[in-house]
Amino acid sequence: MIKPLALQTWKFLKSIQFTIVLLALLMALVLLCTLAQVEMGTAGAVNAYMRSFIVWRQFTGLPFPLPVFPGAALVGLFLTINLVAKTLDIPRTLAKSGLLLVHVGLVVLFAGEFVAGMMQVDTNMSIEVGQTVNYVQSYKNFELAVIDVTDPTWDEVYSIPDTALSRGGAIAIPGTPLTVNVKKYFANAELSNLPAGQTSPATAGIGPGVLVVEQPTVTAESEMNQASAFVEPTAGGRSYGVWLASAAIGAPQAFTHEGHTYQLAMRLRRFYLPYAFTLKQFRHDVYPGTDIPKNFSSLVQVVNPSQKENREVLIYMNQPLRYEGKTFYQASFGKNDTLSVLSVVENPGWLLPYVSCVLVSIGLLVHFAIVLRRSLKRRQDKKEA
Amino acid sequence: MRTLLAGVGLGLLALGCQRDQVAHYRVPRENQGAPGSPRPTAPPQPMGERTGMPGGASDVPPPPTPSAKAALKWSLPKGWSETPGEGMRFATFKAPYGGKFEATVVVLPGPAGGELANVNRWRGQIGLPPLDEPGLAKSRTALKTRAGALNIYDFTSEGKVKSRMVAGYISTPDGNTWFLKLTGDAGPVTKAKSDFTHLLESLHLD
Repeated sequence: MIKPLALQTWKFLKSIQFTIVLLALLMALVLLCTLAQVEMGTAGAVNAYMRSFIVWRQFTGLPFPLPVFPGAALVGLFLTINLVAKTLDIPRTLAKSGLLLVHVGLVVLFAGEFVAGMMQVDTNMSIEVGQTVNYVQSYKNFELAVIDVTDPTWDEVYSIPDTALSRGGAIAIPGTPLTVNVKKYFANAELSNLPAGQTSPATAGIGPGVLVVEQPTVTAESEMNQASAFVEPTAGGRSYGVWLASAAIGAPQAFTHEGHTYQLAMRLRRFYLPYAFTLKQFRHDVYPGTDIPKNFSSLVQVVNPSQKENREVLIYMNQPLRYEGKTFYQASFGKNDTLSVLSVVENPGWLLPYVSCVLVSIGLLVHFAIVLRRSLKRRQDKKEA
Repeated sequence: MRTLLAGVGLGLLALGCQRDQVAHYRVPRENQGAPGSPRPTAPPQPMGERTGMPGGASDVPPPPTPSAKAALKWSLPKGWSETPGEGMRFATFKAPYGGKFEATVVVLPGPAGGELANVNRWRGQIGLPPLDEPGLAKSRTALKTRAGALNIYDFTSEGKVKSRMVAGYISTPDGNTWFLKLTGDAGPVTKAKSDFTHLLESLHLD
């Protein structure tokens, strides 16, 4: 009973009909995702439709979202199973080796997209001409930075990511006597003047006069969430009050514990690097007589003490710098062409699409050669007959 | 095969946990207000599409309630009207021009984080990078008013759809800091700038 059912399922999973259904679903997802970008922005729509197993939708009047469509991750998973099942069916003969290589190449391509979806980190680096920068910054994720600014030359930066803040509770900061109690975290909030008669949970800093109203999170490129949190730093059994840390508050706030001054700042999450880039020159060339861009390029000095490296690199459009597992693309510019913004992508599976292309190309060539040889042989046989 | 899958699973789990943990970095001291100091920034836009959005009302710490004596006063240009502020605003102006822009007054206690931090926050709101002290001095226009010295800043963003911000920054004798901002799409802001400058010139205390 079970065996025939399993066989039936296996047969269905590797059927061409299933492939066609999955491809149709993918096409529908591409269309839906493109339309959704108007409201959700590129990253939001890609996460909701392409990098999820189920597409959820919140209907008004319902307290929870409902699944409305299979996500591209689920469709991709079934497509991979379908492809692997089909690949296993291909006879391991020389005559079919080309086809086998093409299928393996496609499986590698799908695997690459799964690796990118799960492990890729997108950040950016903004550098002005003459400036040296040793960190990349997230586009959307925030951190509560607790910075020990006591040393006049060095800052000890302790970064609490928004994922940890959203869980709330006490977060001990390793290497310091501090514990930060997260009273309440808002992924997006609007700050306003506290109306008379109302009180704020904050007791220190500028927080006591501010009303914080939670807002739905935004995903469009042009919009920014204003992450905010009420936090209470404690150390040595002493509370330093409840502070409001918010991305909407520009000036950092500080308290002092046993001679150490700690600043609190909610900001876009930073990832410091063991190397630094100095922007030596930024070029924005246009076609003569027009404003049409011809070339953007950043000449950067890469200084990496651990590798004893100090060299110049030119990053320009379609010619990124791949360095220490990260890829730096020329992405934007500003400040009268004295600021360069590099888009930084870290994808452990970046090589997989290239491997896939090579496998598919070799597979097609091999298959073509085999078919050509067979065809020539047939023609020869016909002549001889 | 099972061992491999378990290994991959544990690896992903470890990676997920690592992303959640408190990270520690020891970094050379940054200059306050210099590029990279703690501040919210707009994400960079793709090449040629750097637009920036004018900031809303929720971008500043809470205002004190200025006493009637210390409150800043102004003369409205012809056709302009004024409504008392909502949220953190002291007042909002309505100008007789079309387009996407707004004129607001915000009052903050004390130095409100300093001129450089505030100017850089405004620049961030229209997608511009921060300035340092010499850059701030260069972009400042000083204006003498009956309420005291007023610093004016005028910034325009990059990109196809440009945003512009004209902002007046003034401290009153009671220690409060006042911001008068005209922000929005560059076209309508340019149209309203002359009126707004007259409003800034008319600032007084009594």
